[in-house]
Amino acid sequence: MSSPVTVWRNHKNLRNYLGKKAAVLVWTKIYIAPEGFEHEAPYFVAIVKLEDGRKMPLQMVECEEKDLTPNRKVTLVVRKLGKVGLDKVIEYGVKAKPRS
Amino acid sequence: MKIKVKGIGLTKFGELWDKSLLDLALEASIDAIKDSGINKSKIDAVFVGNMLTGKIAGQDHLGPVITSSLGLNAASFRIEGACASGGLAVHLAVQGILAGTYKNILVVGAEKMTDASSNQITWALMGASSSKERKAGLTFPALYALMTQAHMQKYGTTRKQLAQVSVKNHYHASLNKKAQYPYEITTEKVLNSNLISYPITLFDSSPITDGAGAIMLSAETDSKGVFITGSAVASDTIDLSERASLTELKATQIASKKALEQAGVGIKDIKVCEVHDCFTIAEVMAMEDLGVCPAGAGGKFIEKGNTRLNGKCPINTSGGLKACGHPVGATGVKQIIEITEQLRKSAGQRQVKDADIGLTQNVGGTGATVVVHVLQNL
Ligand SMILES: CC(C)(COP(=O)(O)OP(=O)(O)OC[C@H]1O[C@@H](n2cnc3c(N)ncnc32)[C@H](O)[C@@H]1OP(=O)(O)O)[C@@H](O)C(=O)NCCC(=O)NCCS
Repeated sequence: MSSPVTVWRNHKNLRNYLGKKAAVLVWTKIYIAPEGFEHEAPYFVAIVKLEDGRKMPLQMVECEEKDLTPNRKVTLVVRKLGKVGLDKVIEYGVKAKPRS
Repeated sequence: MKIKVKGIGLTKFGELWDKSLLDLALEASIDAIKDSGINKSKIDAVFVGNMLTGKIAGQDHLGPVITSSLGLNAASFRIEGACASGGLAVHLAVQGILAGTYKNILVVGAEKMTDASSNQITWALMGASSSKERKAGLTFPALYALMTQAHMQKYGTTRKQLAQVSVKNHYHASLNKKAQYPYEITTEKVLNSNLISYPITLFDSSPITDGAGAIMLSAETDSKGVFITGSAVASDTIDLSERASLTELKATQIASKKALEQAGVGIKDIKVCEVHDCFTIAEVMAMEDLGVCPAGAGGKFIEKGNTRLNGKCPINTSGGLKACGHPVGATGVKQIIEITEQLRKSAGQRQVKDADIGLTQNVGGTGATVVVHVLQNL
């Protein structure tokens, strides 16, 4: 996991994504997770396309398989990323939530 | 370009608990030196392809780790380009000889993966991806699962077609004593094995492997043998999502075009290929990007048996990454060794009849680095 100063620097960018709207292009459900994410498996990750045309990979939250139809609309939200590291700094990042 | 592959050496691939990285690298190196007939004192440089040892075993500076154990003071380098580290090491060695700096170069690809847990390896491999991908909790099987989904959506490729890659490569591996999984499997086995990252199952995936390969490259051109006649590298975005298309690797298209041009041959002249089938979809995209079949037609092409031994264009006669194994830094070197065996007509039961020109495609990450080599028996 990241050091406190990296977390602090990354957190400054979060506001650029908060509340943005996007659509799912492709998705997968991860059963074997990397170190730091094992406790969340299985979880969904999608490549989404933002309204400004940018594409990015995001972990999905509050999401079930039936929500993942092609072009499914999502909103970008801020959530805790992975496991809290040894130095106890909680890292937040951007994830995507299906829009109701 | 005409760089001689003068010697080859390959260890068994697998879960080799009693062997260290150095044991493996030395075994392959000594075999390659013996096979080349070159006196060890005539080696000018040693190029080592390796990805993970710094991260999972704390050992960097691998060049001298290997030269000193061989009793050499030759120039030594460690080259890293994710799963293309081995192919990159071969490419740079070719450049070293073409530049006239070195005459004889030993290229070693080695990786010791099974000392770490699967979760640790899954994390360590993600060093080859973007920070956004790491933060999203992605893994390599998951990145290739996204490409699989895109290929299925765009071209209607089916999981059953993809499974044929694994069935074929396990068949080839059953003829290869060095392979990690030298046994045949069925389509049902692939489809019904555990999901790793939907829709990729355990049997769509290359495994975690220990192993090493070494080749001796030489500037000598006045005798017959197997030569590298094309060697090219291309790159693409480190982040998969930033690409215009998720169903092709542009870097494969660029590198293969260059390497074939250098060799003065076309893809139709290639009799045997070793491609980077880290997941079943990767072999299908490789066939399409190399031009072995048209874009989108890979699923049907493999289903018809075209790429099986004795088919129209045999692919991955070693068993590929899937069944021969994928010790990441060694794979690019192993591919050259398999094609050399084929061109020397020493591949035994795996021998492709009339193999005189072959090609290797080695991928780093999700295609951010691709290395292509063309080899000919001249
Ligand atoms: C697919 C993967 C996650 C499986 O790891 P795992 O679930 O921890 O599997 P295990 O090591 O516990 O092995 C379980 C069994 O399956 C077998 N096995 C493991 N991987 C296998 C594979 N890819 N194919 C066939 N069998 C496999 C093992 O030999 C073992 O058999 P056993 O119980 O008879 O001894 C792992 O192989 C992997 O991460 N592969 C991808 C590597 C990668 O990404 N490389 C870079 C590509 S760019």
